[in-house]
Amino acid sequence: MSWRRLRTLLQREVRATLRDPFTVTMLIAVPLGTLLAFGFVLSTEVKHLPLAVLDADGSPASRRLVADLTAKGIFDARLFPTRAAIDRALVAGDVSAALIIPPDFDRRRRAVANGEPAPEVQVIYDGAEAVLAGNAEGFLRSLIAANGVTLTEDVHGGGRVAVVTRALFNPRLDGVPYMVAGTFGFVLSFLTTLITAVSIVNERIAGTFEQLQVTPATSVEIFLGKILPLGVVFALDVGLMMLVAGFVLGVWPQGSVPFFLLVSSFYVLVSLALGLLFSATSATAAEAVQKTVLFSIPLVQLSGFAFPIRNMPAIVRWITEVFPATHYIRISRAIYIRAAGPVSLLPDLFFLVVFAGILLWLALRSIEARA
Amino acid sequence: MSALRRFWSNVLAVAYRETIVLRHDQAFIGAVLAQPVMMLLLFGYVLSNEPANVDWALLDWSRSDASRRLVADIQATGYFRPPRTVASYETGRALLRGGHALAFVVIPDRFAAQLERGRPRVQLLLDGSDPLSAARVGGYIVEVAASFTPRDQALARRGPPRLAPPPGPIDVRQRFRFNSTLRDRDFFLAALAGMLLTNVCLSVTALGLVGERESGTFEQMLAQPISSLEIVLGKLLPYVGVAYVILLVSTLATGLLFDVWPRGGIPTLAIATLPFVLASLGIGVFVSALARSSAQGVFISVFFIMPSFVLSGSMFPYQLMPHGVRELGGLFPLRWYQIALRRIIERGAGLSDVLGPMAALVALFVLLLALIRWRMSPRLG
Amino acid sequence: MSAPIIQTRELTRRFGDFTAVDRLTIAVEPGSIFAFLGANGSGKSTTIRMLIGLLRPTAGEIQVDGIDVIRHPRRVRDRIGYMGQKVSLYQGLSLRENVEFYAGLYGLAGDALERRWHELRERFALGDVEREKVEDLPAGIRQRAGLALSTLHRPRVLFLDEPTAGVDVRSRALFWERIQEEAENGVTVFVTTHFLEEVDFCDWVSFIDAGRLIANSPPEELRRQHSAGYRIAIEAPAGVREAVVRRLGEAGIVTAPRDGRLEARVPALDARVLDALGRLAREHADATVHVEQPAMTDVFRDVLAANGAAS
Repeated sequence: MSWRRLRTLLQREVRATLRDPFTVTMLIAVPLGTLLAFGFVLSTEVKHLPLAVLDADGSPASRRLVADLTAKGIFDARLFPTRAAIDRALVAGDVSAALIIPPDFDRRRRAVANGEPAPEVQVIYDGAEAVLAGNAEGFLRSLIAANGVTLTEDVHGGGRVAVVTRALFNPRLDGVPYMVAGTFGFVLSFLTTLITAVSIVNERIAGTFEQLQVTPATSVEIFLGKILPLGVVFALDVGLMMLVAGFVLGVWPQGSVPFFLLVSSFYVLVSLALGLLFSATSATAAEAVQKTVLFSIPLVQLSGFAFPIRNMPAIVRWITEVFPATHYIRISRAIYIRAAGPVSLLPDLFFLVVFAGILLWLALRSIEARA
Repeated sequence: MSALRRFWSNVLAVAYRETIVLRHDQAFIGAVLAQPVMMLLLFGYVLSNEPANVDWALLDWSRSDASRRLVADIQATGYFRPPRTVASYETGRALLRGGHALAFVVIPDRFAAQLERGRPRVQLLLDGSDPLSAARVGGYIVEVAASFTPRDQALARRGPPRLAPPPGPIDVRQRFRFNSTLRDRDFFLAALAGMLLTNVCLSVTALGLVGERESGTFEQMLAQPISSLEIVLGKLLPYVGVAYVILLVSTLATGLLFDVWPRGGIPTLAIATLPFVLASLGIGVFVSALARSSAQGVFISVFFIMPSFVLSGSMFPYQLMPHGVRELGGLFPLRWYQIALRRIIERGAGLSDVLGPMAALVALFVLLLALIRWRMSPRLG
Repeated sequence: MSAPIIQTRELTRRFGDFTAVDRLTIAVEPGSIFAFLGANGSGKSTTIRMLIGLLRPTAGEIQVDGIDVIRHPRRVRDRIGYMGQKVSLYQGLSLRENVEFYAGLYGLAGDALERRWHELRERFALGDVEREKVEDLPAGIRQRAGLALSTLHRPRVLFLDEPTAGVDVRSRALFWERIQEEAENGVTVFVTTHFLEEVDFCDWVSFIDAGRLIANSPPEELRRQHSAGYRIAIEAPAGVREAVVRRLGEAGIVTAPRDGRLEARVPALDARVLDALGRLAREHADATVHVEQPAMTDVFRDVLAANGAAS
């Protein structure tokens, strides 16, 4: 391999990329925009959510419940006289959620000791009558738990087991680190593949790719000349995202930053190779984009970015193990939130390396001059 | 012919031609058919926040009948895999750190004795890196523990685990079921049509219009005595048709496969969809006016679609998002449409109840028309 | 005659059931301009891509400058230059930056590059547009730049795939002047084209049709074999005519009157004919001679007909 030739290739790639304002914008705006958009979605930093309360009971116990909820400032409780009034308020958007305390709340609470069913308190959102999305419910639960409000009452009578709960790594059960760590996976899977595919397809169409294949430049040099500059840009993106996540969202990696950067850079290579492969099978840039999108969106959904893989049907779980993205997202969460070290992540790292090897080899083959 | 009639006849002519082109466009048909199927499968069968197959670790110092029963009760909820029994606290924590367990239950050695006399305490450590799952799983374990009795009382279980309402702690949810519930899925499925339509309206128009600009046929059309507004409307019309077809298919599919039917009635649904389709198509046209190549067009629309799904409230409730972000989501047509969708599908709302969202959509559409006009006028002399 | 610098034997390429190139056997003399003609889809581009190592043949052998291209495709790359149908200049870069890029790949840099580029700049009249962005250059200049670039590293063989496509008629002639200059400097030029008149700039012509070679000889030879020959029309005042007819008759040229002129047909403009015409011109200054070359399109048509081809 000739370093001079590689340097020539790198120089050109960098020049051409930096001079395309659209690409540069995409490379910076999209990762940051995605980070900010997704990062705020599950934030427990919400304060003063207008909460409509219908206290049909009016007992000291029910009043204490409401007071507890408002104590930490997450909710601003407003009492409403009727269910209809609450519905109107929900529909109008005056309140974000509503709490309905049944009239027999206190009585039932005290009757629990005799084996009666517990009082049921409803929390509802607009548009979801009496049906809470489990997701939202879990969120509300974590929201409440995060603020140290327990709705657990000390019940008289023996035989009830108390559970002392502690959430490790994320005591406030804040959803932001979860999403942030996942967003790295999303951006590095999606954006990298997209940009690479488009770039190469454009070159094939313009004929410059073929011209390159006739010069003394070897496939490895061409490959590196394409991959390295983009790789560096995305590695910088990772750093940028880390900084933004830290300063704007308050999420910093708990584990080793160099290790995270290393793994992320490696994963970037994998995605770039995938982009090369997509480009090899597309005739136009638009086609490359469509293919990437069609392939990548389910891939990202299935890779545990927003929905835990553990919850999926068995067959699907096996399939997701094939995606590099799955392993990267797992690793990225482990490092970011649990401060996991390389040793505990060996299986996933191993997969990544093997996949990287396969994909890189295939991508190199696709650059090889001859059909 | 009056000006208005000429206007409409031009629009229809363009629409007709566009439809014919579309019919032959394989990629378009593929995308239109493939996406709904894919999303239906994903949201209907695969994606869920309902915990399942949860790995957990157990450190049972007590090793009594009582502790074993507690473990069995936890198992019986159906959310958990058989526990990994560990011999030390450190091992359990290591499992959590390594991501091999979501929960770690530590039962003290005096558990059985304490059970007779008072309230034994059990320790629960959760892996907080997936907070939603952790919260729910933690909640289940807490509920099970709270309903635990010294002796096997009236909770004799035969057959599949049944509903045993937990006494003690106040149940935040409306109902607590040991069987896996369908509510997560219904939450997504209600908004499914909105997500599908966003996909179609956006990527297709962006791609189609830009593609035409690239191949020069757009300029050709402009040479004819037809205004740009007529051209744009004419091109959009077939897509409105396509959108309704997708709406129909999606409604039928979610109804037949998952028994999620629009309680408010299909006509209401159909009418409420119109402003949304117009607004989404408007965005597609605007994107196509911004993009300078078809690749750019698809690019931009893709990176509009994803935040649209997330910030609109289709996947996560928007009411719980912080200010600023919540308002930002209001700029996406999908936000208003999914509000209308949920009202119609889940609450059986009528037209009068969704006038608000519809008005918002119309406002967005008008704004987009103005933006399109502003953006396109220097180009089309 | 030295050994051919390009040689193929039974070169074949199949795509599934379709045979794009069918047992092609050609030889190109060093320093010659070799025209490879054929209609679109006849197998021209497939052939050239095999010759430069971009495509692997299904069967046959290829040798370029003594190198077995099939076994060692990479070894030829230093010695050949290639200009594809799409002129491969990178957009977003200036012409100068493109030059530096390609030069770097061939190991040409610094002073050596400066000198070489200076020379090419002059020859191809690219000095004014050096700093222009490639996308701002008009098509004709882009084409010229492409040709210049392909010679940058002084290759021994140039492969040009339809180099004049999209170039206006006037520029085409200038283009061919440059190509002929290269040949004069000893560079072998392998050119594909579907402009039949360009054949006359070349030393050798081969026609390919549906993958098969149907003609393979110098242009003159083709004309001799596949046309009615050159038409010579002579306008002479009445009194001179007989003398003209006689003079030409001595050279074996049969002249007949037609439409008030004298016409003759000769298979080729060989020495004998040229000699006779020359003498005619000297002796009869008031006679004007028009020589009409058989159109290559007619020649081609005849070649096709002779080979029973459908086109």
